[in-house]
Amino acid sequence: MKDFADGYLSKTHFQVTNRNVPPDLKEKNKDNIEQMLFMHVEESLDDSQVDGVCATAEVIRYEYHVLYSNSYQVPVLYFRACFLDGRPLTLDEIWKSVHACYQARLLEGPWDTITQQEHPLLGQPFFVLHPCRTNEFMSSVLITSQKENRCTNYITSWLSIVGPVVGLNLSLSYAKLASEQMLI
Amino acid sequence: MTDDKDVLRDVWFGRIPTCFTLYQDEITEREAEPYYLLLPRISYLTLVTDKVKKHFQKVMRQEEVSEIWFEYEGTPLKWHYPIGLLFDLHASNTALPWSITVHFKNFPEKDLLHCHSKDVIEAHFMACIKEADALKHKSQVINEMQKKDHKQLWMGLQNDKFEQFWAINRKLMEYPPEDSGFRYIPFRIYQAATERPFIQKLFRPIASGGQLHTLGDLLKDVCPSAITPEDGEMKTQVMIHGIEPMLETPIQWLSEHMSYPDNFLHISIIPQPTD
Repeated sequence: MKDFADGYLSKTHFQVTNRNVPPDLKEKNKDNIEQMLFMHVEESLDDSQVDGVCATAEVIRYEYHVLYSNSYQVPVLYFRACFLDGRPLTLDEIWKSVHACYQARLLEGPWDTITQQEHPLLGQPFFVLHPCRTNEFMSSVLITSQKENRCTNYITSWLSIVGPVVGLNLSLSYAKLASEQMLI
Repeated sequence: MTDDKDVLRDVWFGRIPTCFTLYQDEITEREAEPYYLLLPRISYLTLVTDKVKKHFQKVMRQEEVSEIWFEYEGTPLKWHYPIGLLFDLHASNTALPWSITVHFKNFPEKDLLHCHSKDVIEAHFMACIKEADALKHKSQVINEMQKKDHKQLWMGLQNDKFEQFWAINRKLMEYPPEDSGFRYIPFRIYQAATERPFIQKLFRPIASGGQLHTLGDLLKDVCPSAITPEDGEMKTQVMIHGIEPMLETPIQWLSEHMSYPDNFLHISIIPQPTD
């Protein structure tokens, strides 16, 4: 992981924030191997409340980068998000888009959790999930898996914890892959 | 001989005479006069330019005013970099006053962070201090402090109160008696016109044999081109707070005495001036 120094992992995905998905969305991404389409369909409270008119879907393009912080000696998640017309999301919009189950923690200290920062390699504005607590939660994950003699991939475990806070959901196949790699 | 504490004061009270001019395409109801201000080297543009904003807003219509941003010779100025760093990096060998252009429209989303309130500046400043302490003390000193101590660091900077700031900051400059310095030195090296905004690496102030590493040692390790002459001449200057410290200076001393309030040494590598 220390070789990370001058590079980063990156992933782009599209998130639809409304039940009504425009039919041409899938075709846009067919040709682009780098982009994976996630259709995040939100459960509506009550179908009878949805009236006949289809709401326009808001499609947001998320780009995630994983970098390594020398200062904290942990990985850090950088991301940026914009609408399809290119308009970037504001910090407020990002805070509001954090999943309901994490909102309480976010509200305790939004300025210590997600803020806008300069990407250390690209020099452009990105949002960052602050790394200062990473060691805390990762050590309990690592201790537990050691006790149970389970193989863990640090990055996969870390990303599965922090990713969902900002809309990055890891497929379970990553976990399978991680344990398969360990057996080789 | 100058006392070391005098260096702390000289760094804190450094000022840059600046002339702010409104961008010519901004729509005004009458002509906008330039505004002159002495900017503190150790502070941030958006923290000290309320008067500049008010001055230009007086000649503009409400609807023409959006988030303020600053530019020097076509380059948007990153408010989250300390003012002294911006000046040294972009304009140190030009005539004073420093001429900055003020904009209220077309915020450059791809280049600049937003700064909608003082809270944003405080969050950024405190994040830098925390990162510096992670390097110096594995975050032990900053984490042991109470919230009111953190607040005092910010208020000291915001209100230009040297004593108030250093009453707390001195704790961040201490190290255990059995060590000869910090664990790692918080520093960033900047060069204009590179894609990469800065170089930051782990660097110990003390060598394994116990000798103090110098500024020259640091540069040789992380940015050798800065101190390599070309055709027998030095093509670049190494600048901190507007001066070129001797390369023999111990980096531990520089970290304790010439860091910015965020506890980082911000070092500029700039072309030698051509006379």
